[in-house]
Amino acid sequence: MNWDTAMQAQKGETPNAQDMELADAIGVLQRLRDVVRGQVIGRDDVIELVIIALIADGHVLLEDFPGSGKTTLAKALGDAIDKTCGGDDRESEHFIAPFRRIQFTPDLLPSDVTGVPVFDSASNAFHFRHGPIFAHVVLADEINRTSPKVQAAMLEAMGEKQVTVDNVTYPLDELFFVIATQNPLDLVGTYPLPVPQLDRFLFKISMEHIDRLSELEVLETWQSRRDGAGSDPAVTRDELLASRAAIDRGVAIAEVVKTTLVDISRKLRADERVLQGNSTRSLVLMLPALQAAAALRGRNFVSAEDIELLLPRVLGHRIELAPGAADMNRILHDNMREPMERLAGSTLDRG
Amino acid sequence: MTQLAEFEYSGRQSLLPALARAAIIAGSYWLLSLSLTVATGSLAAVAGCIAACVLTGLPERENPFKRLRTAVILLAAALLATMGVIAASLITGSSAVATLFGPVAAFHLAEGVKWLCFSFALTGAVRVLALRSSAGGIVEVLLVATGFVIILSAHRNGMINRPFFLGDFALSRGLDPATILLALGCGAVLCLSALLLVEENRRRLPYHFALFGLLCLSLIGYVQTFGLPTPQMTDDLGLTGNSAQRRDNPFHDGENNTENKQAPVAIVVFRDDYEPDGGAYYFRESAYSQWNGYMLDFTSLPDMDRDLIAAPGAPARETVGSEGRRLVSATIGTLVPHRSPFGLDAPIAFENAPNPNNLRFKRTWDAHSLVPEFDLNEMLGRPVGNPDWPEAVRQEYLRLPDDARYGELAREIVGGLRPQYAADPFARAWAIKNYLDRNGIYSLANEHAYAEDPAASFLFGDLTGYCMHFAFASTYMLRSLGIPARVGIGYSVPAANRAGGSSLLIQAIHGHAWPEIYFEGYGWVIVDPAPQRTLVDMTTDPQNELQQLLGDMLRGEAAFEEFLQEQAGYTINWQFVLGALPALLAALVLAGYAVKIYRLWIPAAAGLAAQHRLSYRAAVDRLAAVGVRRRFGESREAFARRASATAPALETLTAWHLAHALGERPPSLSIEDWNATRRRVSGEISGNTGTGKKILAILNPFSWARAK
Repeated sequence: MNWDTAMQAQKGETPNAQDMELADAIGVLQRLRDVVRGQVIGRDDVIELVIIALIADGHVLLEDFPGSGKTTLAKALGDAIDKTCGGDDRESEHFIAPFRRIQFTPDLLPSDVTGVPVFDSASNAFHFRHGPIFAHVVLADEINRTSPKVQAAMLEAMGEKQVTVDNVTYPLDELFFVIATQNPLDLVGTYPLPVPQLDRFLFKISMEHIDRLSELEVLETWQSRRDGAGSDPAVTRDELLASRAAIDRGVAIAEVVKTTLVDISRKLRADERVLQGNSTRSLVLMLPALQAAAALRGRNFVSAEDIELLLPRVLGHRIELAPGAADMNRILHDNMREPMERLAGSTLDRG
Repeated sequence: MTQLAEFEYSGRQSLLPALARAAIIAGSYWLLSLSLTVATGSLAAVAGCIAACVLTGLPERENPFKRLRTAVILLAAALLATMGVIAASLITGSSAVATLFGPVAAFHLAEGVKWLCFSFALTGAVRVLALRSSAGGIVEVLLVATGFVIILSAHRNGMINRPFFLGDFALSRGLDPATILLALGCGAVLCLSALLLVEENRRRLPYHFALFGLLCLSLIGYVQTFGLPTPQMTDDLGLTGNSAQRRDNPFHDGENNTENKQAPVAIVVFRDDYEPDGGAYYFRESAYSQWNGYMLDFTSLPDMDRDLIAAPGAPARETVGSEGRRLVSATIGTLVPHRSPFGLDAPIAFENAPNPNNLRFKRTWDAHSLVPEFDLNEMLGRPVGNPDWPEAVRQEYLRLPDDARYGELAREIVGGLRPQYAADPFARAWAIKNYLDRNGIYSLANEHAYAEDPAASFLFGDLTGYCMHFAFASTYMLRSLGIPARVGIGYSVPAANRAGGSSLLIQAIHGHAWPEIYFEGYGWVIVDPAPQRTLVDMTTDPQNELQQLLGDMLRGEAAFEEFLQEQAGYTINWQFVLGALPALLAALVLAGYAVKIYRLWIPAAAGLAAQHRLSYRAAVDRLAAVGVRRRFGESREAFARRASATAPALETLTAWHLAHALGERPPSLSIEDWNATRRRVSGEISGNTGTGKKILAILNPFSWARAK
């Protein structure tokens, strides 16, 4: 839907401060999206979801196959974020990288992720060498291949935004975003993530092969993209954090939207094909994601469209199906229809 | 990513509901056809219905109807039904089929073809409608309902025990068969409605069922006012039916069958005690007496058959000889329309009697008759003919076909009489009766009907025929011997059928024709041949309960009568309903238009605060009118995207609408913005829609009902 034209009528008016702030935030998101789109071709939908997760302060789990462009995506996102920003120079800043990739293997140790104290003979003291997790964007590749203790360390960092080594806690940056991947087919010698750990991820996204034209375009432009890889960052860390705050304040969530979310959850839990329904936390986590999705579409309110887009991604990996039930999309769809109809119908009600 | 935004309904049906549906529809066809056709026709109807159900219910890929437009299918169905009727008339009309397979087989074949085509076409058309449109299912339910309504109404028309097994079951337990039929019909309709709800591909909305109720109501109203096709007797010797209607040929062999023979046609309540000597009650309606050039017919001479009564009230112009006769009165009520009244042999006067129950009896009258008390042997030595007859009349009673064989055979038969009786008319008549008794074979299926002289074809052929043949053959032979004779027609009921009470049930099978001879002083005396060999089982269930019940009703003193009265108390004033129904419909339509116009007009009059709701609703109304509607569960944005082929501006309107409804800081717009965009939507809709659809959109009074 062309929301820009929809909002054109607003021009000429003097919008209030909140709207201006929100307009800036929307600008930041769209800039980020456009830059990443320039680097990753044919993955517009995934890029959108990843940016939504970034703004909603969540993490994503990509289920895909090798060579599908997930590293490119994560790197493009990391490169697009300029970590330096004038004036606000904090102590921790120099060791925060824009992008890091961690390849998870069975023999990986937690300290390989978090970092380790090393003895400095010059100062005659231990000091902490930061691990690869100290970055804005972390690509945790094949997270199901490593041992549970490494997974736990990783997931603690994701949940608490801090790492603890030798009883010393090191905070991670406010802008900390993990893109984890796992191969859904090659399961030999893996440690699959249990549902409670999956719960740490805002989205689980199954990627499909890109379409023919996009694939052709990738082959056409790979050289130019390789050479221009060091393109200028599009947004700064502070801009992103400011956008996050502005969207949180500026995008309205109507009462009926919340009612719809709760109704869908309750229906899902009551569905006999569902063994265990989604948690309340998943709904709480969904709200900022819905706001970000609305903002990305230039709206200052959450609408049914956002629910349609996000609800399956947010709830899909948080629901355990009863034995025999397999089609998660069908079950979600069946349970969404009625509350969604009520939501659509409510907009014509006399307010 | 978008797989969840699609709202597709699968058209697949599971086997069990499909079978149940087919069974219910076939059942209604079967019930309906029971009273309208023979067993072959009923079977064909069921087969056609099931075939249509199976064909339309096939999965998408194999479905032969899949690629056809609905209009084409409906047209083809109409064509098929017409072809069936034409084929049936060709089969019965062609002599080739009749000679190849015999007239009975031809008749059955024709009925089978007709009903097969009819039920296949109708079921197929209705099933396709039900599968393709949400309102079509209502037609299907209505069809089944109609089937039962017709049965019910036929029941009310006096076909009280039809279908027999149900009627007998109910009557023997003291129930009104209508109750059982009603329960069956309601059950069938309810099941079918439930099956329609189960059918996944279309959503049935409550207003569909309101529509269904309305259609049912108007159907009942129609039935109450104009009646429904009354099931016809297939053969009753022309006794029943409208008085204007008379068959040219009293012989109609191919159409004879015993299917409907048990159907009750009249009830007689004796006012005087009477038990016939001959073992059967004879009710005379009229007589074939005058030679019309090719066979005997009703007389056209004023002086002939003066004993017959033209109409109730008019007395017989000639009193039959009262010797050996006694006056017996009886009240007769007909359950099906009859050509003319009849009375016990020999009726002398009919008087209209009050009809105790208009629902049940077509006509009631008191018949006063002089019943014979004499022994037939008294006829020995009696002279025949009436001396008062003019010579022309006497000659008429002696005329017969120009066929010498009648006289030859008659003389050969009477040649065996003992000399002292050789010239006696009664002895001669008795000899002829004995000849036919011994040599004739009673059969309903024979092939004399279309011979030039069916009686000759019978008498000098295989001697296989039914009462009409026996009566005509003996009358001709009697006349060839100079004995005035005629063919009396009416009913003949075995005395054993009367179960002790004063009432007697006449069934269709009792329709009869017999030869009668005029003896001086005694009047017309029935000398009825009774063939000893028969190919037909003529025994009937005397239906004593029914006889009792109908007799009580005719006397106007039945408990059943109270039951019906009680029912009458509940019935609605149909004239009023029928008058009110169109008014109600018109009011509904007007109300629909009022709401429609109001919803389209109100945005122009409303203030800015309500614009987001009213303007958007008006635009959605306009789209719904041209068939673009939001699906259940579809979001407004997705709908706007889908509708953008018709009205791209709806996206803008949707965005504004949602910003007001769900957002906190909606864009500030002026009334002009709203009006302009709404008009743009209207303009785009009319630009992108065909004229036909636009006209329908304007005409439909309830287009707004499905806009959400």
